[in-house]
Amino acid sequence: MTFKGISTVVARCLSSLELLFSLDRGLPQSRFRLVVDGLVGAVAIGVVATTSVAAQEKPSALGLGIFTFTSGPAAAYGMPGKNAADLMIDEINAKGGIEGVPVSATYVDEAQGAQGVIAEYRRLAGDTKNQAMVAALSSANCLALAPLAEQLEVPTVGWNCDTHQLLIDGKSKYVFRPNGNTVPEFIAYAIYLLDRKPDVKTVAIINPDYAFGHDAAKIFTAALKALKPDIEIVAELYPKLGSPNYQTEISRLATARPDVVFSNLWGADLENFVRQAAPRGIFTSSQVTLALGETVLQRVPLPDGVIVGVLGDGWWMSPDAKANPETVKFAEAYKARFGEYPVFPAIKMANALIYLKAAYKAAMSKNDGKWPTRAELAEAMKGSKVATLTGTMQTRADNDGLVDQIVGVTVKTSAQQFPVIGDMVRYKGDSLMPQAGQDPLAWISTLKPEFARSLPKPGSYK
Amino acid sequence: MPTILAAAAVLMLAVLPVAAPWLQFVLTLAIAKGFAALGVAVLLRAGLISIGHAMFFAASAYGVAFLARAGVNDLGLLLILSVLAGALVGAVAGSFLVRYRAIFFAMLNLAVSMVFYALCAKLYGITGGTDGMPVPVPTVFGVVLGEPAFKSVLFYLSLGLMVFVGVAVQRYLNSPLGHALSAVHTNEIRLEYLGIPVWAVLLIAYVISAALAGLGGAIAGFAIGRVVPDFAFWTASGHLVLIAVLGGIGGVPGAFIGALFLELLHSAAVTVTDSWNLIVGMTLIIVIMFMPQGVYGLFARKEASSL
Repeated sequence: MTFKGISTVVARCLSSLELLFSLDRGLPQSRFRLVVDGLVGAVAIGVVATTSVAAQEKPSALGLGIFTFTSGPAAAYGMPGKNAADLMIDEINAKGGIEGVPVSATYVDEAQGAQGVIAEYRRLAGDTKNQAMVAALSSANCLALAPLAEQLEVPTVGWNCDTHQLLIDGKSKYVFRPNGNTVPEFIAYAIYLLDRKPDVKTVAIINPDYAFGHDAAKIFTAALKALKPDIEIVAELYPKLGSPNYQTEISRLATARPDVVFSNLWGADLENFVRQAAPRGIFTSSQVTLALGETVLQRVPLPDGVIVGVLGDGWWMSPDAKANPETVKFAEAYKARFGEYPVFPAIKMANALIYLKAAYKAAMSKNDGKWPTRAELAEAMKGSKVATLTGTMQTRADNDGLVDQIVGVTVKTSAQQFPVIGDMVRYKGDSLMPQAGQDPLAWISTLKPEFARSLPKPGSYK
Repeated sequence: MPTILAAAAVLMLAVLPVAAPWLQFVLTLAIAKGFAALGVAVLLRAGLISIGHAMFFAASAYGVAFLARAGVNDLGLLLILSVLAGALVGAVAGSFLVRYRAIFFAMLNLAVSMVFYALCAKLYGITGGTDGMPVPVPTVFGVVLGEPAFKSVLFYLSLGLMVFVGVAVQRYLNSPLGHALSAVHTNEIRLEYLGIPVWAVLLIAYVISAALAGLGGAIAGFAIGRVVPDFAFWTASGHLVLIAVLGGIGGVPGAFIGALFLELLHSAAVTVTDSWNLIVGMTLIIVIMFMPQGVYGLFARKEASSL
């Protein structure tokens, strides 16, 4: 607050200059006066801007910065996250907030790109009212924000941040990812696929053309080669993100006739691909595996037997979720408010907020009921184990999360109009993760077929 | 008088981040984009619209990232080398691009820059694809700084460079070489008859404008701490043209005024609504309709009436 004092003094001095030199006469001086006035104004704005509430015992409101895509094509994934955050925060506030403090969120649109996101992060972090950030969806944005979080010392919960590069140096103090990452997510598919279709020989991959798609292809391929060395990748296609037309790629897939088509397309891209590929028989000629298939179950009619999953354990109809009354209530409330059941990005966001809430509880009980600082909050997240809507979230020493992975195939039931996931398996989070600090790809290449045999089998999760 | 106005404006910029620290990043970025827009404005003098200047912006930013990876770790050295890298790319691209005019020049610039963008995004093993490359905090003349201190150094350095480079570009534009640019715009053939090689005039302007974009890119790379292919995307190039036109191409300050205006407008708009694109777009339409000379035109016109 010394800033405030100095700035006020500077502002006073500048305005007294004006009086002293009687600068209000004549044309040229009047411009000079304008300049002095401008300077005074700037300082005054600064004084107002810095006069934020100092950290107090218990604030009147807990500010959160929540980063997700609310515009552009990626909003297909980002909006369920925002909706879930809205709903979850309403539910938390209806029960009196986090430890008695109501939560108010500021949403930041990631579609602005890294520059805009960084500017907003700095602005929000500058206000002590905002104690923590839930950021972000896009891996590129997470990677750009991570050094900033460490520098500004703001606890930052990566609610999506799939990239395995995020916490690879193991030095993070303020960045947490209570989530799986690309490594366990895509190994899970390789194992499930080989369990369900052990005689697979040829595989084609069609992924979006950016880091997420390339990472997934690399990990999936490495896992398949390690577990069944004679597998051949017959096509690797990377259509542009947001592409409306997949006819060329589908023609390639049709002529290559692979046993398996793997894809981590998502959002509108996935919907378009499914709508265009189904009439051309891709789903009958090959075993299709859609890593983010759960997000479109309610929107496009997927045929039976497509391998789909949720990148984590966030399937709102999983046995664990159904056994949890909180989850059932959340899913129904979400359906009532947004007209759709919560897809897994929504569950990921809800779980991230539950994780944050649990960290506050832990920090306060450690603090004898005193409201924690940002550093104390981050400390409470270290190594925490939190029960979420769909399972548990274990934080490792390197701040990376251990979350179970659910994979299954589409089946029709009488309970819902849309296909659901059946024949499920739930892999334990730690079984598919390399040790902290280990190079993920090197670790994957050491996997043995015996390793896969030791894991649960499809259909074992009921 | 304009000098006093400009000095006051620079002073105000210098004071603002002391009061509101988060503005420092926004202003650094605005100045960085101002440099690139100034590069675009230089070519606009000759009537050439480049919808591809983000390429040089990105080339220099990637230059910083690659040099940092190779072990170069001094701010001054990184800045100079990466600007040279931007200028070099400019010299190569310019050597054939300056033979074209009007829409052909604009489209070819766009095409070349998109090839560059595609390379950055696709050479996954080298550039890290869309996840980009990190830019670590460099030392400043051998002094190891913490990140907050470095960001302040960077801001005041860019502010200083803005004044210094701004004056230099002003001198260049007032030199015969600079005046030849407007001559290219009005009557190119006469210029050739006067014995002035148009090709050389334009190539020099092109390299200078690429170097300016490169300077902006290097500063942006340091400020953001990460370089992503989006830096080179065509919308980023369009953004630069927009800044140049918005600020007004009447003088050097125009580019910086335009950049500051657009960045601050953007920052204000995103805090209000998800439809921030709508607010930014509407404001641009209003500015273009009612201020054909750009924001800088306001000042220039006032000056004329007070004489």
